[in-house]
Amino acid sequence: MILVQEEDFEVELLYKRLVKANKTGAVAMFVGLVRQFAEGPNEDSSFELEHYPGMTEHNLQVIVDDANARWSLLDVCVVHRVGRLHVDDQIVFVGVSATHRAEAFLACDFIMDYLKSRAAFWKKETQGIQSRWVEANTKDEKSLERWSK
Amino acid sequence: MPKVRVVFFASLKESIGLSEYIAEVAMPLSIGELKHQLATELDKGQTLLAKGIQSSIDFEFARDADIVFDTVNEVAFFPPVTGG
Repeated sequence: MILVQEEDFEVELLYKRLVKANKTGAVAMFVGLVRQFAEGPNEDSSFELEHYPGMTEHNLQVIVDDANARWSLLDVCVVHRVGRLHVDDQIVFVGVSATHRAEAFLACDFIMDYLKSRAAFWKKETQGIQSRWVEANTKDEKSLERWSK
Repeated sequence: MPKVRVVFFASLKESIGLSEYIAEVAMPLSIGELKHQLATELDKGQTLLAKGIQSSIDFEFARDADIVFDTVNEVAFFPPVTGG
């Protein structure tokens, strides 16, 4: 299941969806949150998350398909929020169920790495009255190299 | 002349001041050629030539050498992605 939405998500509901009766041995989940990056005492961090409707979902499907081709997985669930988000808000959920934990951990890590560099999302952060587009992190692109071995 | 719909996102959309543009082009042409045509055609189009600007053809990430054929529905230009 791949969802791009403004609404928040409930981890417990997503977890229950990932568990397949009589088959599941492991569920690995990752949740990304909005960090506090404002420095002033009365300032709050917020983001505006933009995406490319159609392409973003397609990008995520390609990443999930790639994960399914690499490992034996039971189910994968990716939820990414867009729109205005504030400090401590949940941004992204990646959950993977499998028979064994190694596949679940690896696939979850892989999907997050690729989501950072290969899915059409852009963050604009606001501190007080100032806004700026977040620049891509070269570390994110670099972290893809370990999956090509 | 054939037309292609071009869309822009994030900082590029703001600097160019457009989210969508219909370009008249001689097809087939490469993404790199389209980018240079738009850079001269659009006010502030030069920002398209900034290092790191990425592109897609019908939702697939593309490179400068990739060709835009007349069957293409939509080309996009955008800065490096920053989701997650």
